[in-house]
Amino acid sequence: MNDLIRQAIAAEAEERADAGTVLAGLRERRKSRKPFGLIVGVATLTVAAAAAAVIVPTTLRKTDAAPAGPPPAGPQNVLLIGTDDHDNTDALVLARFGGDGSVSAVSLPRDIQVGDGKLNSLFRQDPRRLTAEVERLTSVRVDHYAAVRMAEFGRISELVGGVDVCLHAATEDPLTGASFPAGRQTLSGEHALAFLRQRMGLHQGDLDRVRRHQAFLIGLAARISKDNALALAAEVGKSVRVDEGWDVLAFAQRFQGPVEIRTATLPVGDPVDTTSGQGLSADPAQARQFVEKQFGGEGSTQTGCVA
Amino acid sequence: MGFDQFVADRLDRLLRYATAITCDKHLAQDIVQNVLMRAQSKWERIGAMDAPYLYVKRMVTNDYLSWRHRKAAREIAVERAELARHVPSMADPADAHVEREAMRARIAVLPRKQRAALVLRFYEDCGDAEIAQVLGCTESTVRSQLSRALQTLRAHELARSTTLGVHS
Repeated sequence: MNDLIRQAIAAEAEERADAGTVLAGLRERRKSRKPFGLIVGVATLTVAAAAAAVIVPTTLRKTDAAPAGPPPAGPQNVLLIGTDDHDNTDALVLARFGGDGSVSAVSLPRDIQVGDGKLNSLFRQDPRRLTAEVERLTSVRVDHYAAVRMAEFGRISELVGGVDVCLHAATEDPLTGASFPAGRQTLSGEHALAFLRQRMGLHQGDLDRVRRHQAFLIGLAARISKDNALALAAEVGKSVRVDEGWDVLAFAQRFQGPVEIRTATLPVGDPVDTTSGQGLSADPAQARQFVEKQFGGEGSTQTGCVA
Repeated sequence: MGFDQFVADRLDRLLRYATAITCDKHLAQDIVQNVLMRAQSKWERIGAMDAPYLYVKRMVTNDYLSWRHRKAAREIAVERAELARHVPSMADPADAHVEREAMRARIAVLPRKQRAALVLRFYEDCGDAEIAQVLGCTESTVRSQLSRALQTLRAHELARSTTLGVHS
């Protein structure tokens, strides 16, 4: 029987795709996209807002230019976009910034299917296409967007003196060589990047990674203080792009104290085939309900330990 | 070894391996492409290893066994099971081609990890230790995966020859 098994497997293997075609595809993708699977734009962007929150009032006070008691603004919905170096979207978060400085954030998996493609390619085409699709999916008006390169993350974590996270179990990532013990730990620099990037060795792959990003984000927000806000704002400011017509300084005045962030992940359905590989389906009716609940005050302000 | 050289040398073999474990050349192509993209960004580390091919093979295997491909794997299995049902009735036991196709169909419906172990043993000619490395499990798990796979295949084989014996 063993020979028969050998023959059967060899026959199966013989069906392989043509190596030349695969090679050409590989070259094409190498040109168009660096494989930088870091999904953390969320954190940077919220930190940018939070940092601005702490620093702007301080600066204004120093220069005596602060308008007397700025009117408390209403809630604003901001789409936070984390990109790789080629403007592909690696992380997408729809956040509602309350007038009181509270933040509700919903992570949108970047592989959600829209039309015959995926969300992750829209920003590069036209930021307005991305915000329009997000509005259609969630029925939430997107007031502004802000985009940031995620490669900045190592330094940002260093600037705040490390970010506290907690792991359920020790893990190792054979790809980056990073290894993390179980329990509470403080991460910065390369370790922070590795923590945010790891997917191999996590049982739920991307889903676990999104949870890690949320845990990191919450840990990061907790580290922001007046002492590091200036450096942080300078660092983050280098790589953040926002839509024209958004007065970020005015926006930032809503933040007066430590920022509390509630996070959740938009539930998605089964994988579907798209022209750019496998995507995830999302039902607009469900998405609207979920975001509504989250923005209405549900969701967790701490993720506890993550995988 | 440089990344381009590695790809030139090993791409076809990787595609064959991935096709054998996935039983779907399109899925295999996707996985190999994605893995090579990731491998490239880490090539300084991987290229310096004793056995880069083994490492990349492990990445391919992990990717296939990960939850993301669970659904695709199930669909392929259902499709193949349907095919397999029709094979025995048409079979002429003397026809080696039909025999082989029947075996292919039975292998295709094995659980993913068992099939990966089987391919590593019978196609890549790996020992228990190497299979354990690729699958990220212990050698005793490898042995039990293999013996379960063989048991299933043997049971089918017996049932089949019995059926054919009665009818002929």
